[in-house]
Amino acid sequence: MAVFPSKEWVEAVLQAAEKSEKYKEAAKDWEGDFLSIIEGDEEFVRDLSRREVMEGFISFLDMMPSEARKKYSGTPMGDVFEKKLGVPLDTPADKFSMDEMTSMVSKLSAEDIKGACTYFWSDFWHGSVRAMKPVAPGEHEDATFKLSGKYSAWKLMVSGKQDTIRLVMSNKLKLEGDMSYVMKHMKAVVALTKEVFAGVPID
Amino acid sequence: MYFEIDPKIGEDKGLSLLREETHRFAEEVIRPAARELDRMSNPEQVIAKASPYWDVLKQMKKLGYHRIFIDQDYGGLGVNATEAHIILEELGWGSVGLTTAIGVDQIAPAVASLFAMGDVIEKIVKPWAEDTEAKYHGCWGVTEPDCGSDYILVCEESFLPHVKELHPGEVRADKDGDGWVINGPKSSWISSAPTATHVGLHVTLPPHDSLANGAFCIVPLEQEGVAKGKPVDKLGLRDDPQGDISFDNVHIPDDYMLIRPPFYELRIGQIICVTSCFMGTIFTGLARAAFEEALEYSKNRVQGGKPLCEHQLVKQKLYKMFEKVESSRCYTRKIMEHVWERIYTERTFDASSRHALSAQIYGKRSAFEVAYEALQIFGGYGLTKDFLVEKLFRDARAGLIEDGTTEVLGLAAAYNIVQEG
Repeated sequence: MAVFPSKEWVEAVLQAAEKSEKYKEAAKDWEGDFLSIIEGDEEFVRDLSRREVMEGFISFLDMMPSEARKKYSGTPMGDVFEKKLGVPLDTPADKFSMDEMTSMVSKLSAEDIKGACTYFWSDFWHGSVRAMKPVAPGEHEDATFKLSGKYSAWKLMVSGKQDTIRLVMSNKLKLEGDMSYVMKHMKAVVALTKEVFAGVPID
Repeated sequence: MYFEIDPKIGEDKGLSLLREETHRFAEEVIRPAARELDRMSNPEQVIAKASPYWDVLKQMKKLGYHRIFIDQDYGGLGVNATEAHIILEELGWGSVGLTTAIGVDQIAPAVASLFAMGDVIEKIVKPWAEDTEAKYHGCWGVTEPDCGSDYILVCEESFLPHVKELHPGEVRADKDGDGWVINGPKSSWISSAPTATHVGLHVTLPPHDSLANGAFCIVPLEQEGVAKGKPVDKLGLRDDPQGDISFDNVHIPDDYMLIRPPFYELRIGQIICVTSCFMGTIFTGLARAAFEEALEYSKNRVQGGKPLCEHQLVKQKLYKMFEKVESSRCYTRKIMEHVWERIYTERTFDASSRHALSAQIYGKRSAFEVAYEALQIFGGYGLTKDFLVEKLFRDARAGLIEDGTTEVLGLAAAYNIVQEG
């Protein structure tokens, strides 16, 4: 079981994509990177108050260089860390006190983290995932596609419990970009969810 | 008389049993009720509370036929393409009119089950699937007084560059607070409109400049602002009550808007792929019914000193009818399998529209040609109400128009053929 999002999850997804012949075949014509935006919600607060999820999330953020993490300063996510948890987001991972933070998070409400977003960028290219990593706000804004939505909706997608098309069509996830291209390559989208994401069980 | 050419199906005891059971229901329940409904002089009688229409509908719901196209995860029947095809051919054999009623019934919940989440699943789809008393009954609101089969063209992505040539549509949905408000009339040809509790409705969205700028929503009909016209008195498919519906400031919640831009333009054609397989298959059932009637009659009716079937001219007709029935079954089954795989199994929603449309056209055209020849074999008796073939002929004729004229269906397929090569 991996925590979403976490360094462990990213590594497992990259491995699953590399191993999946079905994904490689289905996505062999796909060209296009994604800027993904995860918006904090009630479920995010609830999950983050568990130590293992907090550790996973911090490991995810720690994949970014310090300069990138600094760019979260002044954003709602940066404010959550700085003002509500008392540690700037560019603090090195080993300096975080997990118990203290989870305790503080458990006192937060969804309202407290309203607008707090985490960004990650993935580069899908002819059946391979060339990159998947957290990024700073404003980076990769020119990505071919932008997929955004609440943490709970993201979990439904990456766990494979809901198909991407249903989440997008019911407005749980918002997809921006050439929709016609996506529709013509639905095999790749379905395989990414079914064969890659669903192959990495999340906690 | 039925011979299954595919050994994988013919030798499968489960499938054989499914066919036998469905056929028994079609023979003992659907066909007699359909004939009774067909003979009612006033279409108001068809939809009256005491009408056998309701009894058949309830029985079909008890057997789960209203759940064939609903996603299994949300209460669907859980059949595969082959099983769906077997059930629908048999039901169509009983009557395409009543089978149309159970087909349009599930369009809105099926679409919701494929694309929606949350409230609409809990409040509409699941109770609909569980319903065995026909408390829920759906219709499909497509055509309008000034745009009939045009809507079929809109569902073909290849036609979209030409969409501005069409009427922009009259049934409009506008944002109203957290939900939508709907206004405008649908045409008189909405199957099951007079009996339905809900409609799967095609609407246009602001600025209401094109049918392609549209959406598909589910609208409960038992609410203020909905007006239904009288059921239409028509030539065929008289057991399929059709009528108009109009909307005057009718409100729906936001999540009842099931398919909206850009998905409407890009994916509404996939619904037509499903309905086209449905229509092609049920009309294959009608073709088989007409063929069987003619074959039986030709063996018993003596003319010129020998049964009709012993005359070479009749023999030749019977062969041609047989060929049409069998080819129609093979083709519609194959396309049903393809569409089912792309929509229900793989969820890639990229079924070939040209093939699905052609399955509908082929099934309907075969049904008409077979029913025409069957009636011809019956001679003068075929024109009388004493024989089923007369109803089958009228139903088959109506089928060339219902659910899109075969001409427009063919035109839509042609746009796809020319563009995709």
